Amino acid sequence: MKSSPIGLLVAVALGIFPAQSWAQAKAGKVTVGGKAAASSKGVIDADASGDAAASAGTDAAPAGDAAAAGDTAGDTGEPTEDTPTGSGLDDICKIDPAACPNLDMDKEAARPLKEQIFAVQQAYALRVRRFELQAGWSFTMNDQFVSHPAPVLALNYYITNVLAIGVNGAYYAPFNVDKDFNAQVRRAARVAVPLTEYQWGAALNFTYVPAYGKFAGFGDFIFHYDAYVVGGVGALSVRPIPVIDPDNRNFSFEPKLAFNAGIGLRIFVNRWFAAVLEVRDYVFNDKLESLETPTNPADAQNKSKWYGETSLTNNVQAQIGAAIFLPFSFDYRLPK
Amino acid sequence: MTITKQKTTKRLVSVLAAALALFAFTEQAEAQQILLTGPLAGAPAVRKLRQHRKGRFEVAPAVSFTLLDEYQRTILLGAKLNYNFTDWLSFGAWGAIGSAIRIQTHLTEQIQSVNASRPLTNADGTPTTDRQLTKVNLGDDFKKQLGGIDWIVAPQLTAVPFRGKLALFQSIYLDTDLYFFAGPAFVGLTERKNCSNTEGDLCSGPGAFNTATRVAVAPTVGLGFNFYINKWSALGFEGRLTPFSWNTAGFDTAGGGKDKKFPDNKIDNEDRQFSLNPMLSVSYSIYLPFQYKVSE
Repeated sequence: MKSSPIGLLVAVALGIFPAQSWAQAKAGKVTVGGKAAASSKGVIDADASGDAAASAGTDAAPAGDAAAAGDTAGDTGEPTEDTPTGSGLDDICKIDPAACPNLDMDKEAARPLKEQIFAVQQAYALRVRRFELQAGWSFTMNDQFVSHPAPVLALNYYITNVLAIGVNGAYYAPFNVDKDFNAQVRRAARVAVPLTEYQWGAALNFTYVPAYGKFAGFGDFIFHYDAYVVGGVGALSVRPIPVIDPDNRNFSFEPKLAFNAGIGLRIFVNRWFAAVLEVRDYVFNDKLESLETPTNPADAQNKSKWYGETSLTNNVQAQIGAAIFLPFSFDYRLPK
Repeated sequence: MTITKQKTTKRLVSVLAAALALFAFTEQAEAQQILLTGPLAGAPAVRKLRQHRKGRFEVAPAVSFTLLDEYQRTILLGAKLNYNFTDWLSFGAWGAIGSAIRIQTHLTEQIQSVNASRPLTNADGTPTTDRQLTKVNLGDDFKKQLGGIDWIVAPQLTAVPFRGKLALFQSIYLDTDLYFFAGPAFVGLTERKNCSNTEGDLCSGPGAFNTATRVAVAPTVGLGFNFYINKWSALGFEGRLTPFSWNTAGFDTAGGGKDKKFPDNKIDNEDRQFSLNPMLSVSYSIYLPFQYKVSE
């Protein structure tokens, strides 16, 4: 029976002391405001200044990290041989008079400041020497006849903070949609439009990031974004959908040389994960189905007569997706 | 047995108390950690924000381009007028004229080219099959039966949840915002007029391909970016959807057969196709008064 209260006391003590020690451990760094700081006597606010320090309710004056709490000699108020007594310049002058700085502080203070202030002082996420893995879904923006949605993957490596080289690929084959509109036009006007479907696309790309910035959402939280331009060369595997003579024609997919150019926007959720919105134009020379239907059955089966004119085609795709930067963390080596 | 049970109960109570105490104090410690956030604790996310919108009128001449048009592209010339109650909420209207600039697509050119080259009759004087099958759908000049947007007026509420800045080439710095808008749109349309293909109201022949006007009421929604060039002006880009059904070609495409998905030789409401009618706009906003406010 007697051991029960003791057990409770021990438990309560165990609970209390870790909490106190955590508060002290953090004190050396930053302590501002709130009951916790106010109730922790001896906790010094390293960064606090002005009103913030006053509201924190601490007795200590703002000071550097060296003065921050703990068991330093400063707490005892008695200087020792091992600890400096506060006035750093005086100490230097005592030890080595030759090295004693001789500055006219009024003159130094009057010097004009020429510090360059950047609109975005420190880029939230550095890209240099990091891989970017993008995954997303793309939609057709400019083909009212056949839409070509596709899953898209891309891998980029940032050679500098603004320039990357990479590859991307899309798989269209099962997702092409021949719209009802085509059949309606054929039925209503008896005019057939040659249609094309895509199988896959792949390209080698260069990405340049000329713009970055940040947004305050609802005046409360801040998120960062950047905008990029991308361009490259690759291949797009395509084939006509037989609409002029579907009974005789059956086309195979053929890769075509395709150039691409686009712009994108990346919104960073954290330093390694971002949402991506991109619009890219893939330009290729499309070989269309012939509008002529041979009356001779032998000619109708002749593959060389299935194709008609070629047309420079712009396939504008909008892509929504996500990007992951690897490695997840990075060190700042840039001043800004 | 009873003593053992009592001991067990005591131990359990002690352990439970210890666990509760640990949980209780851990929660305090976490609360303390949240407070350890440096001199910016409790400070707003943005200080000294240049409030480009608050309490200002916005007049924005705009050019809008329709997208994914099957037969005819329209360039709408108009303007946006807003009053910004706060920096994040405004009310106003967008209006534009679309009858001035219309560009036919390649498909329209192709249909008209084929239509014009079709012989009217066979050697025996009977109408050709193509002419016979398209007589309800194609007049002499296909371009004249196309539907078009004549004008749009859209009262709209605009919310500006995101406000930020942009560094371009590390040398050009712009304030930006991202806004969303919604409201009803009143759309003046020209479409091929309805016909019932009965005596006196034929759907083929002279006069059957004339157009008529009507007003469609539809929701309009979109989002846009503003890039502030100086204290009183901004360049804007916005995307807009105004979903409604209309007959863009003047074709008889529905109203008959199973599920009314086949032609019925009439032109009526059944032939209207649903479209999101996407548009892109470029605008130049001027803010009045010329001076903006700055937040705390």
